[in-house]
Amino acid sequence: MTSSRVYGVLASFTSVEGIIEAAKAVKEAGLTKWDCHTPFPVHGLDKAMGVKMTKLPWIVLGCGLSGLALAIWLQWWTNAVDYPFIISGKPLWSIPANVPIMFELTVLFSALSTFFGMWMLNRLPRWYHPLFSVPSFRRATSDRFFIVVEADDPAYQAPEIKALFEAQGAATVEVVEETITNTDWPPKIKFAAWAAAGLLMLPPAFVVKAKFSTSETPRLHLVPDMDHQPKFKAQAASSLFADGRAMRMPIDGTVARGELVANEALHTGFLGGEYVTEFPLPVDEFLMERGRERFNIYCTACHGVSGLGDGMVNKRAQEIVSPLWVPPLSLHAETVISQPPGQLFQTISKGVRNMPGYAQQIPVRDRWAIVLYLKALQRSQSGSLDDVPLQLRNTIR
Amino acid sequence: MTSVHSIPTGALEGVHAGEKLSGLARISLLIGMAGLALGAWLGWSGGEAEMRHFWFSYLVAFAFLLTIGMGALFFTMLQHAVGAYWSVVIRRIAELTMANFPLLALLFLPLLIPLLDGHGTLWPWAGHHEGGDPGHAALLAHKEPFLNVPFFLLRIAVYFGVWISLARWFLRRSLEQDLTSSPTPTVRSRKWSSPGIIVFALALSFGAFDLLMSLNPAWFSTIFGVYIFAGSFIGNCAWMILCARWLQNRNLLTNQINVEHYHDMGKFLFGFVFFWGYIGFSQFMLIWYANLPEETMWYKDRITPAWESWSWFMVFGHFVIPFAGLLSRHVKRSRFGLLFFACYALFMHWVDMYWVVMPNMNAPSLGGPADGGSNPFGLMDVAVTVGLVGIFVSCFARRAAKHPLLPVKDPLLADSLAFENA
Amino acid sequence: MADGVAAVDDPIRKPPLVQGENDFASVTDIVCQVSETPKPPKAWYVTFAAALGLLGALGASIVYLISTGVGVWGNNQPVAWGWPIVNFVFWVGIGHAGTLISAVLFLFRQTWRTAINRFSEAMTIFAVICAGMFPAIHVGRIWVIYWVFPIPNQMEMWPNFRSPLLWDVFAVGTYFTVSLLFWYMGMVPDLATLRDRATSRVRRMMYGVFSLGWTGSNRHWHRYERAYLLLAALATPLVLSVHSVVSFDFAVSQLPGWHTTIFPPYFVAGAIFSGFAMVLSLAIPARELWGLKDLITTRHIELMCKVILATGMMVGYAYSTEFFVAWYSGNRYEGFAFINRAFGPYWWAYTLMVSCNVLVPQIFWFKKMRTNMWVVFIAAALVNVGMWFERFVIVVSSLNRDFLPSSWHYFTPTAIDLLTFLGSFGLFLTLFLLFCRYLPQVAIAEIKGVMPQAHAGHGGSAATASDSPSGQVPPEGVK
Repeated sequence: MTSSRVYGVLASFTSVEGIIEAAKAVKEAGLTKWDCHTPFPVHGLDKAMGVKMTKLPWIVLGCGLSGLALAIWLQWWTNAVDYPFIISGKPLWSIPANVPIMFELTVLFSALSTFFGMWMLNRLPRWYHPLFSVPSFRRATSDRFFIVVEADDPAYQAPEIKALFEAQGAATVEVVEETITNTDWPPKIKFAAWAAAGLLMLPPAFVVKAKFSTSETPRLHLVPDMDHQPKFKAQAASSLFADGRAMRMPIDGTVARGELVANEALHTGFLGGEYVTEFPLPVDEFLMERGRERFNIYCTACHGVSGLGDGMVNKRAQEIVSPLWVPPLSLHAETVISQPPGQLFQTISKGVRNMPGYAQQIPVRDRWAIVLYLKALQRSQSGSLDDVPLQLRNTIR
Repeated sequence: MTSVHSIPTGALEGVHAGEKLSGLARISLLIGMAGLALGAWLGWSGGEAEMRHFWFSYLVAFAFLLTIGMGALFFTMLQHAVGAYWSVVIRRIAELTMANFPLLALLFLPLLIPLLDGHGTLWPWAGHHEGGDPGHAALLAHKEPFLNVPFFLLRIAVYFGVWISLARWFLRRSLEQDLTSSPTPTVRSRKWSSPGIIVFALALSFGAFDLLMSLNPAWFSTIFGVYIFAGSFIGNCAWMILCARWLQNRNLLTNQINVEHYHDMGKFLFGFVFFWGYIGFSQFMLIWYANLPEETMWYKDRITPAWESWSWFMVFGHFVIPFAGLLSRHVKRSRFGLLFFACYALFMHWVDMYWVVMPNMNAPSLGGPADGGSNPFGLMDVAVTVGLVGIFVSCFARRAAKHPLLPVKDPLLADSLAFENA
Repeated sequence: MADGVAAVDDPIRKPPLVQGENDFASVTDIVCQVSETPKPPKAWYVTFAAALGLLGALGASIVYLISTGVGVWGNNQPVAWGWPIVNFVFWVGIGHAGTLISAVLFLFRQTWRTAINRFSEAMTIFAVICAGMFPAIHVGRIWVIYWVFPIPNQMEMWPNFRSPLLWDVFAVGTYFTVSLLFWYMGMVPDLATLRDRATSRVRRMMYGVFSLGWTGSNRHWHRYERAYLLLAALATPLVLSVHSVVSFDFAVSQLPGWHTTIFPPYFVAGAIFSGFAMVLSLAIPARELWGLKDLITTRHIELMCKVILATGMMVGYAYSTEFFVAWYSGNRYEGFAFINRAFGPYWWAYTLMVSCNVLVPQIFWFKKMRTNMWVVFIAAALVNVGMWFERFVIVVSSLNRDFLPSSWHYFTPTAIDLLTFLGSFGLFLTLFLLFCRYLPQVAIAEIKGVMPQAHAGHGGSAATASDSPSGQVPPEGVK
């Protein structure tokens, strides 16, 4: 289904002066739907044609400021709010370190909007243009200057316009006919486009599914070299050493770091085979405070904040009726209260029944601090009004 | 590209100031002397601390004018080096400004008093370092081969030697060109502009190290010379715009300097506001990030309660506001807009110099009070700056009255007159 | 920014930018014939084959690297950043000339840029590709490289925006994107020229698709020129920022030799320096090979030599300031780092760097040297060598003797290091040779704009600002 219609009158000029003068004449003639086509931007032609200043800079300014806002928000939200972590002692929200990316995103957004905004305002890409069917128009990108008045112009009168161009000394003047072809897409292409669009929806669909479902299998590791590293684990065998062990014994006459027992009472809680009854280190408020902190970190999970044995682990074990669970003693039981500090220290260090030893996790001083706090905790549960200093008694309700 | 413009009629009108500037020369000299005298009196009568304040204040004003002069010298040489033609109509303003270098050398002389008084009044390394932090003393001992009074004076003499001879040489060539239509003087200026810039760059950066950076002798920053250079360029651009405006208000250069030239000066101002921000930020960010005590102290001195607001003012006032303001071409082409931002930029350049120099007076890092004391800004600073600027302007006006305000026979004058911004 | 500039050549007035008896049609012909001749010159085939060979070597070494691990390189404590980072900075630096020429010289109204801007923009893009490759393959587990982007992931972690390495990702990424847009946008009118001259269907289709239906409409030109100016204005600070951010990778640390405040402008000057040297290294053979001497004239070469001289002096200024302040600071470690740099085990690299970067460009004070193509070519090559060694000196000599003398170590690269580096030249040259063969090497539309014929009546001052946007506020007098 093809038909043809007149597109407009096309004239060509050989010089810059010619096109500028012609453009002035066309503008004076009051035509509105017309344009010049030149191989390079001709200085002064905008003025001759009366082209209005583009609004592109405003678009760019807007997008640039959005880029800046995005950069500020992104860095603040990700590093200071959603996933706060301290890096090289810098504040979570450290503006000097955020400036480079603020700058980059401002420029990036501005540049993208300049590029795409320009094509959008020019309504390009448009791979078809009626003038492309004119063989001589090919010189518009080489060395000829064209001017075209479209037939859609309300003041369009082909003979008058031709006369006007000829009066301006046009090299060629011709009336351009445009062939109108069916612009619908062929069914095959249409089908392919729909199919492609459908396929493109698949990955996001999988993402959505993954978000709302749980998986029983561990995730796929394409490169498993960090999951399965060639290394020896503790207590493993090794053919490298004569004794067949991967682990090495300490060399005779050496003490491993942190394993020196310089002070028997302090490091073991024993003195001469007896549990110590006095704290083998100075007791002060700092130690007490430290003990409270450590106790709340290490002990409360099972023993509970109050020491009654009602920690979260115990609660959950009761709930699921674990057959292996031995409930922790209340730390306020008489058997515990009667234990000397040395014994408590020993228990923390080596463990008892189901409780593991904590010597690896908690340094010696911190274990004593916990013992100290525990003693205080026990006092707090068995104390009487007389224990409270006089001036504070009336604050107790 | 070889289109030759002819000089339009009337293009050489209003290029001789003659008597029109003598009033300015006299009044500004009077104001200048009065300001300086007031400042000195305030210092003298206020006791030792105020006298010290006076010297710091004097150095601020001196650095302010020196940087403008250096900016003018660089501007002139740069225009020759790249063979620019747009700037020919305003180049003479820069040339007359840089001719003030002998005056600047003279204005340096009073600074010998705080230098030689043996107390390290301005430059702590110049005094006897008694007591104090032994580490600091060891550092000063290490720097002694460089930071000692005779060598310092020798260097200052060399810097001024370089500046004065470059400025004189380029001004002479330009004045020579006024008398002949042969392009030889301009050709010679071009030829020697690049080597000139090299020598100038060394004098500028070491001058900045000596006069300003060594106010805190423990502190160091390799970019400091570039920072002062950026400020100089801003100061000179703003100064040239103001001079051109002022001359035009006196019916001078009205046919020659038009909105196109102002637009380009505005672009330079804008560009160097950005450049200054870039250099200032680079220096701050690197020091802030690495967080080494020997470097951060300089900024810590400037975020004491006495100076914190000034520092914020530097960020917004010296960078953000002029940057945003000069972004638009309409502002750069508007009479009032550009004039406003030129005044503003010149003011901010002074603030910059104040911010560089003054916190050293009571710097915690130099043994001052931990909170930096109170901000010393007051009448004396205004008086001293007005004083020195008055003398500077007077000298400038006196010279401007003697010479044409335009390189009347410059081979590129016609192109410059016809210059049009894209 | 702000100077309508004539040539520094005397007497006073500049010679025409396009030489010979050329008009619009002949300029079009000169540029288009490069891609329209059925066969490129023999030299093209030879270099292309060599480039492909090197590209193959690059591919092989990358496969070996990824399948084995970063240990195949010479990087090890204390020099944990070895050649990969040196090569990265080297290539990023090269990638600075293009945008500088397109953007900064455009704003400075240096119309001579029109002959070389396309060429150097292409070079920029390919150099940035080479540059970006090195950190990417250096990360070890390249399959999780997407972690550098703020993409929500299964670990619910975000990248660390306070790290200069992440700034690099954004800076180099932005720079690449903007350079690509700039390059492509500038090329669209010329692609339309090639489309309109195409004789085969394939050429018409290919150039047709990429020229987006450009018709040379003046209403389009108007927005196009505005956009070009805006991109130039955006790219100018971007050029400053990219190498400044690269310098932050080093300078925010506390390592003597890396932590110094002059690094940002010093790196930028060095980048421009090396970029121009690379443009010269490529432009001199290209203009011989494809008969572009009327467009890329001796004057263009001379001007580039002057830019090299100027930036070389800036680099020299930075070297000496660093040295002086290393002593002046009174910091023993700073002092040691610089003494070690110049007189330590890497004295040879330092000497090479100073001679190539500071001494060699001094010959460009003489016009005779600037106009002798062999001299210029060799000097430019030496500058490139010097700039590679500058990065080598900064990285290796600062690291090899750290604070613990027992771990001092003389860095030695491996064969894979060398192969990867040479291979990056293969990648660069392959892309570049393809560009030379199939795309317009010179900005045809822009160069027409600076020809005398492009100015109505040759009056006014149009001669000066031809390739700048038009149609703005008419000049108003100042009273």
